[in-house]
This record gives sequence, C-alpha cells and structure tokens, in this order.
Amino acid sequence: MATMNNQDSNNNNNNNNRQVTAGPPMNASKQPLPTPKTVDTQSVLKRLQSELMALMMSGDSGISAFPEEDNIFCWKGTISGSKDTVFEGTEYKLSLSFPNDYPFKPPKVKFETGCFHPNVDVFGNICLDILQDKWSSAYDVRTILISIQSLLGEPNTSSPLNTQAAALWGNQEEYRKMVEKLYKPVA
Amino acid sequence: MTADALSLVCNLGVLDSLSEASISEILESWNSFCLITETIVKGDDADLSSSYSKFQSYVSSLCKYGLRSLVEEHFLISLQDMLEKHVAPKFWKNFDAYSNVTDLEENDKDMHEDEVELLLCKALEEISLEKQYQEKYLLMLVKSLQLCQDSTSMEGHPSDVEKFFFSKYHLIISSVLMTTLPRQFPEVLHWYFKGRLEELSTIMAGNYEDSESQDRIGMELYGKGKHPTQFGNMDIDGSYDQKEILENKLVRNIGMVVHNLRSLGFTSMTEDAYASAIFLLLKAKVFDLAGDDYRSSVLESIKEWIQAVPLQFLHALLDYLGDSISYLSPSSMKSPLASSPSSCYPGASKPSEGIIRWQLRLEYFAYETLQDLRIAKLFEIIVDYPDSAPAIEDLKQCLEYTGQHSKLVDSFISALQYRLLTAGASTNDILHQYVSTIKALRTIDPAGVFLEAVGEPIREYLRGRKDTIKCIVTMLTDGTGGNNNGPGNSGDSLLEELNRDEENQETAGLDDDINIDDKQAWIDVQRWEPDPVEADPLKGSRYRRKVDVLGMIVGIIGSKDQLVNEYRVMLAEKLLNKTDYDIDTEIRTLELLKIHFGENSMQKCEIMLNDLIDSKRTNTNVKATINQLSQTGAESQEHEVSFDILDATIISSNFWPPIQDEVVNIPEPVDQLLSDYAKRYHEIKTPRKLLWKKNLGTVKLELEFEDRTLQFTVTPVHASIIMQFQDQTSWNSKNLAAAIGVPVDTLQRRISFWISKGIIAESSGEDSNDHVYTLVDSMADGGKTGINNEELVADDDAERSVASVEDQLRKEMTVYEKFIVGMLKNFGSMALDRIHNTLKMFCVSDPTYDKSLQQLQFFLSGLVAEEKLELRDGMYFLKK
Repeated sequence: MATMNNQDSNNNNNNNNRQVTAGPPMNASKQPLPTPKTVDTQSVLKRLQSELMALMMSGDSGISAFPEEDNIFCWKGTISGSKDTVFEGTEYKLSLSFPNDYPFKPPKVKFETGCFHPNVDVFGNICLDILQDKWSSAYDVRTILISIQSLLGEPNTSSPLNTQAAALWGNQEEYRKMVEKLYKPVA
Repeated sequence: MTADALSLVCNLGVLDSLSEASISEILESWNSFCLITETIVKGDDADLSSSYSKFQSYVSSLCKYGLRSLVEEHFLISLQDMLEKHVAPKFWKNFDAYSNVTDLEENDKDMHEDEVELLLCKALEEISLEKQYQEKYLLMLVKSLQLCQDSTSMEGHPSDVEKFFFSKYHLIISSVLMTTLPRQFPEVLHWYFKGRLEELSTIMAGNYEDSESQDRIGMELYGKGKHPTQFGNMDIDGSYDQKEILENKLVRNIGMVVHNLRSLGFTSMTEDAYASAIFLLLKAKVFDLAGDDYRSSVLESIKEWIQAVPLQFLHALLDYLGDSISYLSPSSMKSPLASSPSSCYPGASKPSEGIIRWQLRLEYFAYETLQDLRIAKLFEIIVDYPDSAPAIEDLKQCLEYTGQHSKLVDSFISALQYRLLTAGASTNDILHQYVSTIKALRTIDPAGVFLEAVGEPIREYLRGRKDTIKCIVTMLTDGTGGNNNGPGNSGDSLLEELNRDEENQETAGLDDDINIDDKQAWIDVQRWEPDPVEADPLKGSRYRRKVDVLGMIVGIIGSKDQLVNEYRVMLAEKLLNKTDYDIDTEIRTLELLKIHFGENSMQKCEIMLNDLIDSKRTNTNVKATINQLSQTGAESQEHEVSFDILDATIISSNFWPPIQDEVVNIPEPVDQLLSDYAKRYHEIKTPRKLLWKKNLGTVKLELEFEDRTLQFTVTPVHASIIMQFQDQTSWNSKNLAAAIGVPVDTLQRRISFWISKGIIAESSGEDSNDHVYTLVDSMADGGKTGINNEELVADDDAERSVASVEDQLRKEMTVYEKFIVGMLKNFGSMALDRIHNTLKMFCVSDPTYDKSLQQLQFFLSGLVAEEKLELRDGMYFLKK
C-alpha cells in the first residue's frame, strides 16, 4: 500500500522536474543523467555525495551501498543478516532510488534478492515505517540500511506483507530452514 | 574437302556454266597442285626451280577458275601441317632432356647452363633455317599468285600481298609453337639468360670498376669527373679492346638468340625471361651491396651499378636488335616518343625511350628490393641507430619512391612485438630502442604518422611496466640512461635531447598549443604539409605536428605530473645524500626541465634546490657564529666534537616528498652538537626552528683498531650502532636495539652491514630470538692487514631517505580503498575502467580522485597482492 503511494509521489516529482527542465544547463561531465539540474538538484547531489562519503568512511560491517556508475540517484545496497538471527550468513541486495527532492522524501528501497520475511513481499517491497510516513530528513542511507538490517531480525508481525512468513516466525528453527531453502545468493 | 564445299557455296551459279573439259582440267590441276605443294613443303625436292615452274602453271590455271583462295588456303594449311608434324616436334625434342629441370636445378646448375646455351643456339639455328625455307616457299606462292594476278588484275599492291602472307605465316608458326610449347621451355630460356647475364655482368663489372678507377684518374687529370652515364663512350677506349670484344661477342650471341626467338613469336616470353634474369641479377647485387652493413649508404652505388651493367647490356641488346625493336616491342609503340625513328638507332647520343623505360623499371625494382631488405632488418638498424643513419637515409629514399610505408609499419611492429616487447627485455633497453626508433623514423617520416603507429605498441607495453617512470627519469637526468654498461651510451641520452630542445625553444613546450603566439602560429602555418595519405584520419593530426622525443616519452606515462613527481623523489634522494652543497648539475637539469615542463610544475623542485643553496649559506653562518662564541666563551670547550664536522641540510619539508622518519638515538655528543646547532639556528632565523631528521644524512667515520684504520661513509643508524661498541664490545640484540632506539628487526637489518664488513661478529644468545654481537677487535683472520682505507657507502635498497612514488601513491590511494571495496561489494565484479570512472564520478570532494588509470591499476594490483581483491579475466572481485 505504502509503496503505491510512494510511486505516486515519485511521479509527481517527475512532473515537477519536467517543468524546471529549462533551467540553466550544467556541464554534464559529472552527472550525465538527463535529470534536470536546478540549484535544488545540486544540493541533492551534494547531500548524496556526502552520504556516500560518510557511508564509506563509517566502515559499518554488514551494510554497504554504492551509486550505480552513471546515476547517483540509483544505488545498489548490500546487507547481510545479523549474527544470532535466522538470517545469519545470508546476504541481500537492495536497490535504492532517491527522489529528486531527497531528503524531504524517502528513497524507494526494494530487495533485489528474494527475502523470506514478514515485512517483505514477493516483489521485494519493504514495509518499514521510516521509509514511509515516519521518514525524516535526518535519516540517511546508512541509517536506512541499518534499520533494514535490524528489521530482518525483528520483524513487525502485526502488519505483515508476507503472511506465511509472519505465521512461521514463531518457530525459529523452521523459519531458519525456510530461509535457507529460499535463499538464492546473487552470483 | 572443306575447300570443295567452300567453292560449292560460293560459285553455285558458276558451276552450271562449267563444261566437262574445264571440270576435268580443274581437277587435274588441283591434284597436281596438291602433290607438288606437298613435295615442296616437305623440302625433299632438290630441284626447286623445275618444280617451281610446274607449280606456277597449276596455280595460274586454278586461279583462272577463281579458285585462288582455295590455293592460298591449301598452301598455308600444308605449311602448318608440316610445322606441326615435323618442325615443331623436332625443335622441342631438343629440350626433352630438361623436362624435369626443376628437380635437377639444385644439383648441377653449372653443367646445365653451358649445355643449355649450346642446345638453345643449335635448336634456334635449326628452326630458323627451317623457317627460312618455308618463307622461301611462301615467296614462291606469292610470286605465282602475283603472276596470275597481273593477268587477272586483281586487288592490291604486290608488296601488300607479300606482307599479308608473311604475317599470316608468322602467326601460324608462333601459334603452332605456342600450342606445342613444353612446360620447361620458359625455364630453359630463363636459365640461358641468367647464365649469359652473369657472365656479362662479371665482364662489365670489371669494366665498371676499371672505369671507376679511370674516373678517378680522369678527375685527377682533368679536374672533373665523368658522369656514370657516359660508359657507352668509355667502350671506345682502346684499353678495353679485349673486354669489348668479349662483351660484343656475348651481346651478339644473346642478340641472335633473342632475335631468333622473337621471329618465332616468343617476343614476350623472351622479354620475360631476360627481364627476370636481369631482376634476379639486380636483386643479388642489391643483397650483395646492402648486406648487413648499415653504416654506409648503398643506394648510389646500386644506381651506378644499374647504369653500368644491366642498362649497358640492354643498350647493347636493343642496339643489336636495332630495326626490329620498334616493330616487335608493342609496349613501346604506345608511347609517342617510341615511334620517333631516332630512338633506337645504335650509338644514339641520348638514351632511347626503351632504355629509359628499363632504367625506371630497374630502379624501382632496386628501390623495392632494398626497401624490403632494410625493412626486414629495421629492428637491427635501429638498434645501432646513430651509426646506421645511412641505411635509414637509404630507406627513406626508397620509401619516397615506392610509397610502401605501411609495409614498414606492419613489419616493424611485428619485429618489435617479437623481439623487444618481451619480459626478457629490460625497461631501459626498451626505452632506448624507443628513443632510437623515434629518432630514426623522424628522418624517414618527419610528420610522424608512421611513428605514431609504430610507437603505440611500445608505449602500450611500457605502461604496463612498473619501473618505466623511474627509468625515464633516470634517462632524463643522468644522461647515461641508467645503465652504464648497456648498449645505450651517451648517444641516446635524453638529457641531450633536453639540450637540443633548448636550442629551438621557440617551438614552445609540449602541451601548450593554446598559448602559441601569433608569430609561432604563422611559422606553423608556413611549415604546414598535408598529412601523408596513409595517415589515419581517426587519430587527430594535432599529435603529429611535432615529433618531439620528450613529448613522446612523456606520452608513455600519460601525464607530465607523474614524471615530475618521480623526478622530485629522485632529486630529493640525490640531494639528501649530498655531503657537499654542489648542485650545479642538478640546477642545470632542472633549468632544462623547466623549459620543457613549465615553471609551475617544477616549482617544488626549484624550492628543493634553493633549500640546498640556502643550507650552504646558513650552515656557514651558523658555524661561524658558534665558532666565534667558542673562541670567546670558554664553556664551549666542553664539546668533544667541533662544529666543523657538521654540515646541515635545511629543507622546507612542505615542498619535499614525504621523508622517511625513523627514530634513532644518536650518540650523546653528536646529539648535543645537533641541538646546539639548532639553537644557534633559531637565534639567527627566529622564529624558525630546526627539526632534525636524525635518521637521514651521511656519516663519515673512521674506525681505529689496534692494527688498522678503516674509513666508512654510512648512514646515521649504522654509525650509532658502531658507536655503541666503542665502550662495550659485546651487546645482545635487545639491549642494543634499546640503546639505539630502533626495533630489533631494524637493528638486525642494519647491523648486517657491519657483519658483512667483518667488524662485528654475530652469535646466537641464550634466547633463540636473542643474538649477541661482538666487536671483532683484532684482525684475527688475516685477510685484510695493515691500514685499510676503504671508502664505502652503505647502499641498502631498503634505505631510502624519501618515500618512493609508489609508497606515496599507496598512501594517497588508501582513501579510495573503501570506495573500491564498497562498489565491488554492491556490483560484484568490475573492470578497471569502470572502477576508474566510478571513482572519478563519486569521489569529487575531499579528496578528489585525480589518479590516472595506470596509478589505479598499480594500486589495485597491490590490493590483489594483499589478497583483498581478486582479478579474473580483467574483472576485479572482492576476495571472499
């Protein structure tokens, strides 16, 4: 549900952007993306740059993300299951796509690797409050990733996207077996 | 029968009007005509005149009935029949012995040549005789026909008829011979001409050499030389009678053969045969002259030889053939000049068209042969380039003529790949060859188009080598190219190149195409030449404008910054190891580099040199004031050592490459001295303070033993170590390390120097990790006795005063390591390019990623070596 909303807002953003396309042309060497560049986008770029820097320098283990080669608005992320949870030893790829008015709107985060989890549906959509209504511009990529990592071990079974997973959560041993069975690591 | 049928068709109407008598007359005459033709053609009949009259009467009677064409046809057919059945087989039979010449060729060439010559002459004579007979018969027919033609007064001029028949006959004979041509005949001809020509060339070569010497005499006598084209006149000279006769005879022989062959219709085959023989000879001559000697130009002598030998021969041959030439060589007919009657006359003062044509052909062939020869050996030629300049010059001329530059490029590149760009070749050698290549090809091709193509593989290869920059810098600064015993001596020093560039400096630096002033632009415009057609339009022509050795060298590295950086490190090392302040050569090199690379990039280096100059002044100043003090104040007497022994190098460390810092406790008196010096400096240069880098510098020390004195020039650490043994002759490693203030492993590394000199002995202590070092006091082992004045420099590779460029790079790149790991974590595997681009894109602030692809590659290979990354098929992975 929340995802749908998110998409809508994304579309709105795109529309907004189309209107400001006529803004001053920038040299495209650093950002070949056809996204329009306004003073605002510039600050978004800066923000993402510094987030990347912070993330790289933080050295947190188990979480990582990096922008795709030609587009700083699209990142690929990696989180590994925390120790002492059923997800231990697994590694999940994520895609993060940032709206043009980031950080005022949350990025869209999806699992690329299939994840058997109460709050993750079969398409990889995540139900996490901070990615929706509880979003704050104080969050950043690092906190998002950490939140998702902890979400793995502490799901919210009361409003599940994956009811099967939610039902199974009580039986950790069985759940672990299911995770192992369904886990398909990316090459 | 065909003839009958023919007449039927033609004269159907006439047939009706024929009477019985006339029919029988026709038949009779026809039969007799056939009979007599047969006898005549066979040539058995001795009494030609008697049969001639009969023949004539039959012919005329047949003509009377309008059967003239039948007669002609029949006669020619019987001639052809004769040729086919007897003459041709007989002629070819002569050559049966050589039916498998190709096998025999290798074994007994010489024997065959003589044989072939005789045989060919004989066979040709025979067949010519045969031909003459037949021509005579043909003439008979012509005459008979003419007789009846007179009576019937038919078409044409008599000579036309004759010409018609003879050309027809020639066609028949050549076609008969051609159709029956045995496979080996061209080969036989080729042999013949080859043999004759070789013989002739030896005679002529003798002539040529004599005339050369005579030339010289002539020059002495008349004060002017004879032009080589005047050899024709030379033959008139009496002293050459003998040779001339021989030569003329030979030429006449050959001429005869050629003439006979031509008359048989073998014109083109003959020409092919002697042309190929001449070319073979020429090729041999070129190989002989050019050989493996690159130190002299051979082109001129080849040209002279062409004038003297083959052209002389052709001249004589064409002269001999004289009249027939214009008729028989259809190729020369095409030219308007060839038809001029004067062209082929014997003894014509100006060379005929045919000769000129031949000369051009021969010269082109010679150029091509020489060019191929030189191109094949281009690698060797370039190896001894400055000496092989004449060969290069030859090649240049050849290529101008033939335009086969691409051949050169292809062949040279493959030679390079095979011989130079291998793991076995040292970087220095490759660089030297590269420089030589640039210089050599600059001569051949000033625009540098081919150089661009040839240089690319070398550059590509050198980029993959780690020590390339170092070697280049050494070559730039040393002048000896780094390896004194190597092939490259001062001849290809880059320093020289720097000097040279200084002279024509109005052509500005290498990368400032932007700020060339108007005057320079005008000069450039005036110098403009179109790119050679072979130029690759894909590559911008801007690069070709100047073939600049330094520019091309810098092009290997990609940017001058790296070069300058490496130079700075080298310079720092050199300066820090100086004990005197003599930096004249360095200043000079720097000035030259400044011209080339621009003031800005060399600024730090200049500051370094200025530091040295300042140090010298400050050093004297400090010492002077301290000595003044010591003379006035008595308390300075407590110094055990005087300031005279101390020279300080004061550097502005911001501008120097990172300097290795290592803690070392130096002996108390010296330490005291240093701090006094620093104090004094502070007094003079307030607010500046001296910070000593105690591990750097050199110490000259003298070790006095009971029986000997040893002198060493060593590093402070070494000196500190040995000083510890002054009071205590035996130390265990832990205590010694503590005393000096260095880690134990460093101590072990350093002390090995003294052990190797036989001054300290090592023995294992109680603890396995503990070693005991003892001073070897007396010269127990009698190797070195007496006073041993060794001036030794402790040269340890690990001991560098300055962090190497690689170390610096590694340090600078560690920032990006996290980024690289981050991107590989999320993208799995990435190629070098992509990592480079990604870093460029996302590391834009603090610190901005400004490394080159090569530097990144170097760093990544380091990470691979540390087993952090993995490299498979050009893709980098995180090591799991």
